[in-house]
Amino acid sequence: MTSPAIEVRDLEKTYRTFRGKTVSALQGVSLCVEPGTIFGLIGQNGAGKTTLIKILLGLATPTAGAARLLGSSPRDPAARRRVGYLPEQMRLPDYFQAENFLRYMGRLNGVDRAAMKQRIPALIERVGLADARGPVKAYSKGMQQRLGLAQALVNDPEVLFLDEPTDGLDPLGRKDVRDLLAQLRAEGKTIFLNSHLLSEIELVCDRIVILNKGEVARAATPEEFTRGTGEYLVRVAAADDAVRAATAAVAGHGAAQWEQNTLRFAPRDRAQLNSLLDRLRGVPVEIESVEPVRLSLEDFFLQVVSGQEP
Amino acid sequence: MFATYLNSLHESMSRRVALVLFGVAILVAVAFNAVVHVRTLADGATTIVVGTQSPAPPVIAVPSVLESDLRATGSLWLLLAIFAAAPLLTATLEKGWLELTFSKGTARWRIFLGRFVASLTLYSMTFVVATLPVALRLWWMTGIGTWQVGVALVIQTFSFAALLAVTALVTLPQKGVALPIIASVAIWLLSPSLAMRQETFYRIFSSHLARGIVDWAYRILPKCSELEDLCVSFIQGGAIASWWPIWSTGVFTLAVLGLTLWLLERKSF
Repeated sequence: MTSPAIEVRDLEKTYRTFRGKTVSALQGVSLCVEPGTIFGLIGQNGAGKTTLIKILLGLATPTAGAARLLGSSPRDPAARRRVGYLPEQMRLPDYFQAENFLRYMGRLNGVDRAAMKQRIPALIERVGLADARGPVKAYSKGMQQRLGLAQALVNDPEVLFLDEPTDGLDPLGRKDVRDLLAQLRAEGKTIFLNSHLLSEIELVCDRIVILNKGEVARAATPEEFTRGTGEYLVRVAAADDAVRAATAAVAGHGAAQWEQNTLRFAPRDRAQLNSLLDRLRGVPVEIESVEPVRLSLEDFFLQVVSGQEP
Repeated sequence: MFATYLNSLHESMSRRVALVLFGVAILVAVAFNAVVHVRTLADGATTIVVGTQSPAPPVIAVPSVLESDLRATGSLWLLLAIFAAAPLLTATLEKGWLELTFSKGTARWRIFLGRFVASLTLYSMTFVVATLPVALRLWWMTGIGTWQVGVALVIQTFSFAALLAVTALVTLPQKGVALPIIASVAIWLLSPSLAMRQETFYRIFSSHLARGIVDWAYRILPKCSELEDLCVSFIQGGAIASWWPIWSTGVFTLAVLGLTLWLLERKSF
């Protein structure tokens, strides 16, 4: 059995304000990230996501609980040499050029010169900065983000923390990042992804945790989050009075709602759904589509953070 | 640590800080050399003329010129270098940059110490450029050894290290570069008054408690003015008059720097 890439147990973090008030950023957070998976962390602003990442990278110290990174303490520099990190707010000093910035980041991670000589041009190519020239101060936000991704990969990490990796990228850039994440997963890397773009999290993650007010509100796979609601949308060519009457006979008035030519219907069971479809065909009316209603991750997330957890 | 050291020197060059310091150092060296004239008399004897002063034999004039050089540039250089080095230290803790560097596989204290040593290097190199040319020229033209200047430079760098340690410590609990500069300049300004506390503070404070506090402040804080006096007396006599300012400032520097690195390692960002 392989040991988890990231393990967090009963983690708590409390900040003390100047006036002596205590603010709890994390309360009893426990989670486990298996090697070679993409893990998504979502939550509102102030939910504690960045605090959790900072603890996992040794930047912040927990008030209580334990965090393990690749089996070691995150405060251990040797463990961090096997980790890459793209922070949400990155400040690149103006004087750097892409190559010497990556070289410096590599040196801080103990990458030897020979490895960097090979790796840096390949990385620049991989993140789409092959044509970029000059100091980083001349880079656009998207280019800086790509360079940030490159520095996170310069030590060929086993675990990658990405905080809003698609921030500032255009749709093409976002697709590039998604493709890159898929490649990295195929290479066996563990990715810890923090993003506000829930659709992206839904697309790429193997497991997702919703953090709400410093606590783990839900942890599940994307499929579990976006399961069916038990309702169906039945779209017909034209919903005239005969069609509506046929529907009412099967469904009753409470369980079915028409909106123009689309019926939202919550059948008791599959037999009732088939009975409705038979009745519609008997009217006759052309059935254009029948599809189950699923919650998107965004719907689920909004319900969790507003306290209406499904 | 060496990577950070090199990066800090690169940064100081790119931010023009080092260029300005080197530029001023070259100007100081040129100006000092311009007012010092070495002349050979008809009888073959050499005399030295400084500005409009009367000619003096090298045995007397060389130490005097070097002393004036150190007095003129020593204080100026401490101040200039503190202004130049403080941003190098505070930049380490800038949001968005510290997340990048401190999350890497190098201990924080090594990164910070690399920048500290780079600042010291910047100071000593530029100070050498400002003061050494006139010493070398006098040695070349008169044959009188001016090696004492080298020792004086080391002592001055030692003094700068103490002030830089204060800058580093004050960098930790707050953002911005003003407070670290103010703290170190305040200690530098206070040091002559503390050294002569019988003539300064004792006249203001009559109570034993207040005088005791002043005495302890003197004992603890770096003795920049005494170290400068030590440099001058060393150039004149070639011997260290008292080791007290050196070792007590050394203890202060090590303690403050050690405390800074320890606090940095424990700090939660």
